[in-house]
Amino acid sequence: MKRRIAVLVFPGTNSEDETLRLLRDCGGEAELVHWSRAQRLTDYDAYVLPGGFAYEDRIRAGAVSAHDRMMDDVIAGAISGKLVFGICNGAQILLEAGLVPGTGPVRRPTAAFTDNGPVPHFVCRHVYMKLAIDPSRCAITAALPNDAAIPAYAAHGEGRLAASPERLQEIVAGDHLAFVYAHRDGRIDAAAVPNGSALGCAGLVNREGNVLAIMPHPERDGWNFNHLDRQEGNDVLAPSGGAALFRSFVDAVNGR
Amino acid sequence: MVNPPASRPNVALSDDELRAIAQHLRREPSTVELHAFDAQWSEHCSYKSSRRHLKKLPVSGANVVLGPGEDSGILHLGEHDGERYGVVVAHESHNHPSQVVPFEGAATGIGGIVRDVLCMGAQVIAVADPLRFGRVERPHSHARYVARSAVDGIGAYGNAIGVPNLAGDAYFDEGFDDNCLVNVVALGIVKESEIVHSHAPPGADGWDIVLVGKATDPSGFGGASFSSVTLDSSDAESNKGAVQVPDPFLENVLMRASYRVFAMLRERGVVAGFKDLGAGGIMGCSAEIVAGGGYGADLNLDDVNVAVDGLPPEVIAVGETQERLLWVLPPELTASVVGIYNDEFTLPHVAYNARATVVGRVTQEKRYVLRHRGAIVMDVDIEFLTGRIDDELSYVEAIRHDPGHRELPAVDVEDVFPKILAHRDVCSREPLYRRYDWAVRGTTVLPRGAADAGVLAPVPGSTLGVALSVAGNPRYGRIDARAAAELAVLEAVRRAIATGARPLGLTDCLNFGNPHKPERYGELIAAIDGLGHAARELGLAFVSGNVSLYNESKSGAAIPPSAIVACVGGFRDVSRVVTPGLKRAGSALLWVGSRELAVGGSVLAEVLGIDGPLPEISYDSERAAIAIVETAISAGVMLSCRAISDGGMLTALARLAFDARNAGRRLGAELDFGNPLCEAGGFLCEVSDEGLVDVSGSLKVGTTIGEPRLVVNGTSFDVAALYDVWSKPLTEIYP
Repeated sequence: MKRRIAVLVFPGTNSEDETLRLLRDCGGEAELVHWSRAQRLTDYDAYVLPGGFAYEDRIRAGAVSAHDRMMDDVIAGAISGKLVFGICNGAQILLEAGLVPGTGPVRRPTAAFTDNGPVPHFVCRHVYMKLAIDPSRCAITAALPNDAAIPAYAAHGEGRLAASPERLQEIVAGDHLAFVYAHRDGRIDAAAVPNGSALGCAGLVNREGNVLAIMPHPERDGWNFNHLDRQEGNDVLAPSGGAALFRSFVDAVNGR
Repeated sequence: MVNPPASRPNVALSDDELRAIAQHLRREPSTVELHAFDAQWSEHCSYKSSRRHLKKLPVSGANVVLGPGEDSGILHLGEHDGERYGVVVAHESHNHPSQVVPFEGAATGIGGIVRDVLCMGAQVIAVADPLRFGRVERPHSHARYVARSAVDGIGAYGNAIGVPNLAGDAYFDEGFDDNCLVNVVALGIVKESEIVHSHAPPGADGWDIVLVGKATDPSGFGGASFSSVTLDSSDAESNKGAVQVPDPFLENVLMRASYRVFAMLRERGVVAGFKDLGAGGIMGCSAEIVAGGGYGADLNLDDVNVAVDGLPPEVIAVGETQERLLWVLPPELTASVVGIYNDEFTLPHVAYNARATVVGRVTQEKRYVLRHRGAIVMDVDIEFLTGRIDDELSYVEAIRHDPGHRELPAVDVEDVFPKILAHRDVCSREPLYRRYDWAVRGTTVLPRGAADAGVLAPVPGSTLGVALSVAGNPRYGRIDARAAAELAVLEAVRRAIATGARPLGLTDCLNFGNPHKPERYGELIAAIDGLGHAARELGLAFVSGNVSLYNESKSGAAIPPSAIVACVGGFRDVSRVVTPGLKRAGSALLWVGSRELAVGGSVLAEVLGIDGPLPEISYDSERAAIAIVETAISAGVMLSCRAISDGGMLTALARLAFDARNAGRRLGAELDFGNPLCEAGGFLCEVSDEGLVDVSGSLKVGTTIGEPRLVVNGTSFDVAALYDVWSKPLTEIYP
């Protein structure tokens, strides 16, 4: 039997539909779970936190949501080894919940995705996120090839990884830096980073490798019709591009 | 000017209108009634000075599912899985509020247009924003502040609700120093069998009137009539009170809750009425939704959820608090609908005292009655309140400025072309639109800025596609209001066609000065004539639109006549999209379109400091050009295509080269054409088969080459250097 994936909807979430659609198109048994209908959240085998502006990004993006009661179940699930995958606002929530990089106590974040730099403005830009760990280091990326470059859209006002030098060192030393921004050809430099993120960070993984938080949105570049100029195969409706990461996640959930 | 008597109420109604109201009521109106008529009879709500001319626009046709009259128009897109799908489209302005409080004014513009589309039972799939700002070069000018803050407001709202910004344009012109234009367009997708109308359905006598959304507060009191007067900078502080306060967080939840209500109504097979609260607040919306079904209404203002106690009844009745909608529901469904908003989507926890709540009922008797603290504070004939009023204003024929000399200037391309690419109306808009989320929803096919129109695939599992483009050149408007309106239609249509879309229909927003000045009114009438003529010639209809008048400051400076047009296009198979950028070396470049060259209103004319006539419009050549482009696309020989507009053919070619560069293709072109900077209309096409060259109406003007250079009549430009010139200028305004 397929394992069930919950896509969490907080008040202010805005990317739940396309996230759900791509999970399903990649073979996942996924459904939306709404903040007022979350009593049975423990019944699910994996959690996806989609993008948006949950709780209006009050205080700091993700800060209020990390204390929503849905997160009690997500945190418990993560500790018990369930897969947890956060995208954009979902990534911010996982950071604020202390699940990534996971080097401090729960709900005591050791780093933040905060105001973009050098100009503190929302930015929407097509990017590539390059796998910076061995694929098997994180269960969710296990089916990707080495150095995979995943096409995605960065679309956020608070996506710059910021932490003290010691904490950044901890992220590097602990192999928590899962994805970095890159150019189409895989080159890595400052121009590839849309938000001034420390370490060029686009995504973080926890020590156990079951929680992944990424800032860019692969689900917005996840079907052939999103990128007709680099279409794979003839079916315009088929998942491709950013779907590679979603497939790897679904495979991991289903234990393949 | 004679000051009105001290006893004259503080409303924008004319003395004649005040007399007509008292005569009809056979008594003096109450304070609530006075403000109700003030809102309902404002130009913003009643179109009193434009209606008689707007009637001349074509509004029906094969694609039209719903023409103007409700909150949005609807165009037939195509079928999928046995269902007919319609594109819902609305087009409005938020000009006055954006000039006074640009962030909030522009943000609430997005919020309002999104609710106009939502209330048709649709999923909201895109927004677009044609913008006109003043001279932004001076660092501390109000114009720069407006240009920055309005863009931030549009982004803040659209990004939070999760609707992609699909299209738009921006012009910077001294004519907008005192009056910016912030037009907003929104698109939705709906199954045609599931459309919800903005009026009470048959059999609605005794049904509940349910108000949904933000708690009513004193913001936005007098907004409708504020939009219908001339702005005076000395009133800036008092005008701010008429601007509404945006809450996109609440709107996000309201949209999702409403989608849930649509699904529930479908399951139960119930037809209800749903309408956005815009101008005129609770009164305007409830009166129009019941009057549209031939009913009256009886509402108790004490049942309205308010943000502060002690609001006067006229503020509750006509104040324009944002993020509110109104349902007309059969009583047996009311509890379920209220439950979805208040319990499942927890509105009261999302914003202070936000909720769904019953505020009145539909009545067979055609009266509009408001109660407050046990007293009747308004009781009028609803047909008199919402009926069509009509101002016959005098006008003079709009002037067509014709400088007479028609010879084209000799141009030093090497010197002039970089200046044109760096011109504020030609340079890259990316610094502006990268502040908008243009990829959310995962439906994007051609995103904002990638092509002449944005394209989406909005129906999951279907290849149906929707294109959206906008146009309206103020430099043309200044020369000839009518021709500018025609050219706006042509350019919007060309932009959609250049992506491979079939044009389905049009919307318009008519942004003009004070209609009580005969010259300004004449410009408005000329523009409407131009829109109607062009649309008829192309076989298209206007399904939605808006009129924004009084866009002038008290000093008497009006904006250039600005008829702004949006074109909705459709694809049965979105994989037929013409993708951006030159594709390969050795293909032919064709100019498809009328051969009439002119410099009037062009960027070239502005850079050289000359003037000239506008390009002649030939609908025969236009139709022929469209047919050639469509044939080339369906034959599969069209490799890339751009509509020729600001900056002329060479600018269109540069854009094709830039797009190739961004996709990693090292390509350029040799162009052999005498006047590549004139803004003749038409298309620049890269085709793989020159068999089309022989067709009359197209001309081979060049060939693509395998290196990133543009060689124009012997002068050679480096594509990367040109890209640098083109992409930088707006970063100063939008860092």
